[in-house]
Amino acid sequence: MADLLFYLFAAITLISALAMVLLPNAVNGAMCMIVSFLGTAALFVLLDAYFLAILQVLVYAGAVMVLFLFIIMLLNVDEEAPRAKPAKLSIFAALSGFTILSVLVVSLFNNPSALPEPPVIEVAENPLGPSAANGIPFTTSAKSFGYSLFTKYMLPFQVTGFLLLAAMVGVIVVSKRMTETTVKTEQSD
Amino acid sequence: MNEGLADFLRGIAATNEWWYIMPEILLAVLALGLLVLELLSPAIRKHVPRVAMGGLGLILALLLMVDCSDCMGANGQSAFGGLLQSNEWSHLMRVFFVFSALMVSYLGGIFLAGRNLAQSEFYHLVILVAAAMMLLVQSNHFVMLFVALEMATVAFYVLVAYRRTSSLSLEAGIKYLILGALSSSILLFGIVLLYGAGGNPALPGASGDSLNFDALESFIALNPDNPVVLTGAMLVLAGICFKIGAVPFQIWVPDVYQGAPNPVTAYLAIASKAAGFMVLLSLLHGPFLALQDFLLPVLVFIAAASILFGNIAAVMQRNLKRLLGLSGIAHAGYLLIGVAASFTIEWVDNAVVFYLITYLLASFVVFLVLSLSGEGDDADLNIERYANFSREQPFLSGALTCGLGSLAGIPPMGGFVAKLLLFVAAFQAGLYGLLGVAVLGVVISVYYYFGWIRALYFNGSSVTALGEASNAPTLQNRFVLCALVVAIVVLGIFPAVVSLV
Repeated sequence: MADLLFYLFAAITLISALAMVLLPNAVNGAMCMIVSFLGTAALFVLLDAYFLAILQVLVYAGAVMVLFLFIIMLLNVDEEAPRAKPAKLSIFAALSGFTILSVLVVSLFNNPSALPEPPVIEVAENPLGPSAANGIPFTTSAKSFGYSLFTKYMLPFQVTGFLLLAAMVGVIVVSKRMTETTVKTEQSD
Repeated sequence: MNEGLADFLRGIAATNEWWYIMPEILLAVLALGLLVLELLSPAIRKHVPRVAMGGLGLILALLLMVDCSDCMGANGQSAFGGLLQSNEWSHLMRVFFVFSALMVSYLGGIFLAGRNLAQSEFYHLVILVAAAMMLLVQSNHFVMLFVALEMATVAFYVLVAYRRTSSLSLEAGIKYLILGALSSSILLFGIVLLYGAGGNPALPGASGDSLNFDALESFIALNPDNPVVLTGAMLVLAGICFKIGAVPFQIWVPDVYQGAPNPVTAYLAIASKAAGFMVLLSLLHGPFLALQDFLLPVLVFIAAASILFGNIAAVMQRNLKRLLGLSGIAHAGYLLIGVAASFTIEWVDNAVVFYLITYLLASFVVFLVLSLSGEGDDADLNIERYANFSREQPFLSGALTCGLGSLAGIPPMGGFVAKLLLFVAAFQAGLYGLLGVAVLGVVISVYYYFGWIRALYFNGSSVTALGEASNAPTLQNRFVLCALVVAIVVLGIFPAVVSLV
């Protein structure tokens, strides 16, 4: 059953990713990208990484894609211009990509023991246990992230809040339309 | 949750002593308060610059007067579960960054007056950058280091593009954004490699918290030849070299320095560089200590290349802000001499900090004069426009001469002592080739710094009259310039006063 689901979701991910690259309409492409992200999230669920799956849906399929769609609609891109002949650079990129892929495939099938047996279970159980030397145990559940964020990484967590504030202030500074009435300072010149 | 884990978490939470970072918290509160003031009413909005500078001055005075030996953590004390660790420079660097923020706010007041730009957001971002850099130089953990660095960098992206009606400023903002993001990703990739190697149970000395500098130091001491460790260390070094503008990663410097508003250029040149060097020193004396045989030739090469490139490129440069940027690359090279020598010479850290302080004072003099003399668009100030400047503006010319003299390293100024200390350190460390390159660089730099000074006083056949166009400096500006110049000369004659802070 799990194998069947894996192949199903992997197929959904790959096909929609391919469609995203090939479709000429940018909005359709963005929609396919969402489907691809959802497929990846489902694969994460199959790996017992529930928290990562939720983040994938919330952040990538949700927030980031809404941003993409907004930009596409704001820029009013309808149809992509017909492609020119593939440049030398993209041929080179494709070649090197396929070389890396074939090396990976060959090495995987020649040497099955190179794959770690059950990678997730070991990490989740964390045989070392909590201590000052080992740090906070890492598990795939959201709870362990919460423990870390609110104890050990409290300060970076707060600084990140200020980082987001600075980014928001920055967006306003760079994009707000300033009228003469907005800024009434002493005009020196 | 099992009991062991709960106890462990409680133990970590108990080390979150916010009292240790009280200056940073005060800065953050000040920054937030400015945004609230902006909201209240247009009448109050006018006072935002004064509130910002007053608040910064108050925090600076508190830092200087209150004995902070127990509130900030003494030398070597760590807090926040090992994320922060104070070192002997923490206190001085806090003063350094708050003073930079104060001076940048002062320059910002001159820059923003009469311009149709957002006002209080400028001070907000400047203060946040100062707080982030104060955390950055105390960080003892790569997570803290990266978050604080990004905090400062994101605010700098905005500040560089602040004058958004000017295409040069926007171009500089885009360039800084893209190259800054690239360098952050390089740094992050290096950190991840170190984390992966340090957490690998198959290697000796592996720990579960391999981002901590102390854990990483003991790990690298046991595995100094591990290729993953070496690659990670090189990538981290590359990311930091971008921030300080050292040679293979210097391409952004001239364009960004030219396009950014004057106060932001000063902030980038001074505070960003200082933070980069303090991080570099704490990394090289902490986690990367065991890699010194591998890193020393790299540092020597970067230092020599920076000195030669910065000085030779600056000779032909006519635009003053680009010239300051290129000479900033050379100054990064001189500072890297100190960093390279610090593996063998104990006292050279002091020389690096002293150099940073004299660079701060001299740069602020130069940038303040640039701000006062450039009317309108300050991105196109050429040397030619300063012809005969001294006839109309004798005071500004005198101050500028002192500032440039200190940058060039002329005897009565602080810059001379700073360069001398670094060169003595290079001599004692046996870096003779690098010393030769550095002396050559200083000779070249005297040529272009004095070219500017000569334009101020002697250039007779001038067409432009920048001196007439600029207003005479107000009493306040005269006072600030006088104080900075006096500080430069005092540092040149009595270098030991730094230890009083």
